[in-house]
Amino acid sequence: MSIADNALTDEMASRDDMIVCRGVKKWFGDFQALRGVDVTVKDREVMVVLGPSGSGKSTLIRCINRLEVHQEGDIIVDGVELTNDLRNIEKIRSEVGMVFQQFNLFPHLTVLDNITLAPIWVRKKPKAEAEAKAMELLERVGIPEQAAKFPGQLSGGQQQRVAIARSLAMEPRIMLFDEPTSALDPEMISEVLDVMKDLARGGMTMMVVTHEMGFAREVADRLVFMESGDVVEVGTPEHFFTNPQEERTKLFLSQIL
Amino acid sequence: MTDTTIDTAPPEAPLPSPVRWVRDNLFSSVSNTVQTVAFTAVLLGLLRWVLGLVFADESNWVSVATNMRLLFTYNYPAEQFVRIWFAAGVLFVAVGASFAAWNINPSITLRRIGVSLMGTGGITLVVALITPSATPSGLRTAMWVLGVALVVIAAVVLRVIPEPHRRRVPFLGLLIGVSAIVCAIMWFVPFGDYGFSEGEPTAADGIVASSTRVPWTVLFIIMIATYVAGRGLAQVVSLAPLRRAMIAWWVIGPAFIVFMVLRDPEFDWAHIWSTDLPMAAGFALGGGALIYLLAAPGRSDLARVLGAIVAAAAVFNWVAAFFGWYPMLQKARFSFALAAIAILLVPNFAGERSARLRVAAVWAGFMVVFHWLLTGINTASTLDITAPPFLGGFVLTVSIAYYVMLASFPLGVLLSLARTSKLPIFRVLSTTYIEVVRGVPLITVLFFFSIMLPLFLPSGMGISDLAAVFAGYTVFSAAYMAENIRGGLQSVRRGQYEAADALGLTTVQRTSLIVLPQALRVSIPNLVGQAIATFKETSLIAIVGGFDLLRIANSTIPNQPDFLGQKRPALLFISLVYFVVAYTMSRASRNLENRLQAGQAR
Repeated sequence: MSIADNALTDEMASRDDMIVCRGVKKWFGDFQALRGVDVTVKDREVMVVLGPSGSGKSTLIRCINRLEVHQEGDIIVDGVELTNDLRNIEKIRSEVGMVFQQFNLFPHLTVLDNITLAPIWVRKKPKAEAEAKAMELLERVGIPEQAAKFPGQLSGGQQQRVAIARSLAMEPRIMLFDEPTSALDPEMISEVLDVMKDLARGGMTMMVVTHEMGFAREVADRLVFMESGDVVEVGTPEHFFTNPQEERTKLFLSQIL
Repeated sequence: MTDTTIDTAPPEAPLPSPVRWVRDNLFSSVSNTVQTVAFTAVLLGLLRWVLGLVFADESNWVSVATNMRLLFTYNYPAEQFVRIWFAAGVLFVAVGASFAAWNINPSITLRRIGVSLMGTGGITLVVALITPSATPSGLRTAMWVLGVALVVIAAVVLRVIPEPHRRRVPFLGLLIGVSAIVCAIMWFVPFGDYGFSEGEPTAADGIVASSTRVPWTVLFIIMIATYVAGRGLAQVVSLAPLRRAMIAWWVIGPAFIVFMVLRDPEFDWAHIWSTDLPMAAGFALGGGALIYLLAAPGRSDLARVLGAIVAAAAVFNWVAAFFGWYPMLQKARFSFALAAIAILLVPNFAGERSARLRVAAVWAGFMVVFHWLLTGINTASTLDITAPPFLGGFVLTVSIAYYVMLASFPLGVLLSLARTSKLPIFRVLSTTYIEVVRGVPLITVLFFFSIMLPLFLPSGMGISDLAAVFAGYTVFSAAYMAENIRGGLQSVRRGQYEAADALGLTTVQRTSLIVLPQALRVSIPNLVGQAIATFKETSLIAIVGGFDLLRIANSTIPNQPDFLGQKRPALLFISLVYFVVAYTMSRASRNLENRLQAGQAR
């Protein structure tokens, strides 16, 4: 697979494209964070985004659920184009789960309330149903016994697993992960990665910004390498770790591996 | 206070011996010893000076004791006093029920109690020792006896009972103990019975009048009974509905007390049946049905359009009122405006059938209470009071302070949200309001509202003095509340906004469910500080004509023929009243912070 495979030349995105970015440009003041990014993530695909800090990888996935607003180019998520229309944004956000580096759990709510909040208020689910679903998800991420605690009483790894459960409670079609293990102590990283691997095996469409090369190699269907707001190289893990084409990719991998 | 339990939860270190404590803390070094001696001398000097004020010859506490009724209720008619007691009873019940609903059950170790008793006893003995010679000898003897008794009890608690630092007295025991002490003072301490009889002060030896001590005792018993009953109820039913009921009571209840119980409106039943009741029912049922229909999922556009139309109609109604184009009851105008707001907010509460029914029911209940209150306020009082404000004294101070806090809080929240809004128009309006109000002295605002405001209002829209003062205080306090809450809003991290957005919450949901709860928690100390300030600033009400505590103490009592020029005792007394209330609020805020922190320990 090469860059040409990924670049979209025709107007019609294929039906199983979940996320399509075409020529996405983004400025913070005078600083250009994205310089025309073209990326496509297919249904049930796990896409890992690599790159040095400041390369725009977090900005890119934050543009996909419009936590950041891109200035040029198109982003189409699950067939819906991101525009300034408020309802479009809320619809896309409820279809796209996001897990943050700093967890961002709601500290004033219990674990259970953190998870049921959005299903009850956004999806208008009855409380009992939302709570049953939440317990099921806590079971799945391995911490059902923490349901009544507050986030501040949990370890970092447990908090991140709650954050994943919170996103899954909305039954999203796409999950975005923004460096989900970077704020964790080393002994807690694997418990979070295990949950993510499980999710990938279940067929979730995922876009993951991470520095965990082992995870990328094992789970990713494709990888994107970004630098200075540009997509440098796209390919399968095998292609990346055995035969990278670009000099910048080789340099980055030699530094990180 | 035999209701002790041994609790292992928060252990306290055993108490060091008193000699050891004194040596370690007061005389540990030469400089420490010098400081201790010097500050003790200063403290004793100050105490002696205060005692001189309290027991000086010219101080005649009879003026305070005789005017107690005036200080607390001003000229509320004595034959209607049962209304005051009833109001106090309702409040005591609410306090007991609220403590039960929120399971407020602090416990205190016997050691703490012993230390407090020891301190109180010691201070009493020092006071007995240095009190001026003018002090009545009976009082001096009483101080000696009390001081010795307290020290002996404290010694028993601390030295005889084993492990006093691990035995805790729970809240119910404290409540019973404190109530028993207060009642015992009223029933057994010979303060004397003072009062007025046909304009002449009367005095009799003995304990306070039975018309005072019997109601107070009953109130304490009722409060304890309510607490016990509430705890019992909490074992059977879940706490959530109990808490919701209590919150609703604390918002509506005091209005009920002031306007219905204390004011006793003379209802015009014919008018109520022909106009008020149908109108209330129309808004409650019609509005409720509309809200139920609009709250169905997928009808948000319809709701917004309809809301905009009703809002326009409501604004037009006010314009029409200003120019007098067509007659309409003010109540209807208010209701239309509220209906517009409710319809605009409906999409945020859309959901399944039970949720829609709940929203509609809340609206209907709100409309019923709202119309009932406005009807009550619009109706003349049956009270036989010569001066227009039916409230005065401590009752006025507390009522105004409570309502200003209640009304300025939501206003302050809205202002702070507007000030941090992304929309420039809101930001500019809110900032201007806050800066203008904060740049103007409170007294100017009060004058403006009591004198200028009625001039700007169209004829027929009279606004009573009390309402004008209340509006002035609210406007002033809201600006300060807004700034306090803004500080809290800034402490909420950006990640919280992003997480809420990423879950698809709307802006209103994000603000009310995620941002505000965290911001308000941080703002509690400042908000309580503002509440205390408001409570004390109610003394300015005297300037625009009200008879609050300060005015009664400073000008009413000193002008009575029998107590001409006697200001000092009354001023000392009201200082004590202000202090007790303000200190209670401050302690309550600290407890609230601790409770909230315990819930989410990091």
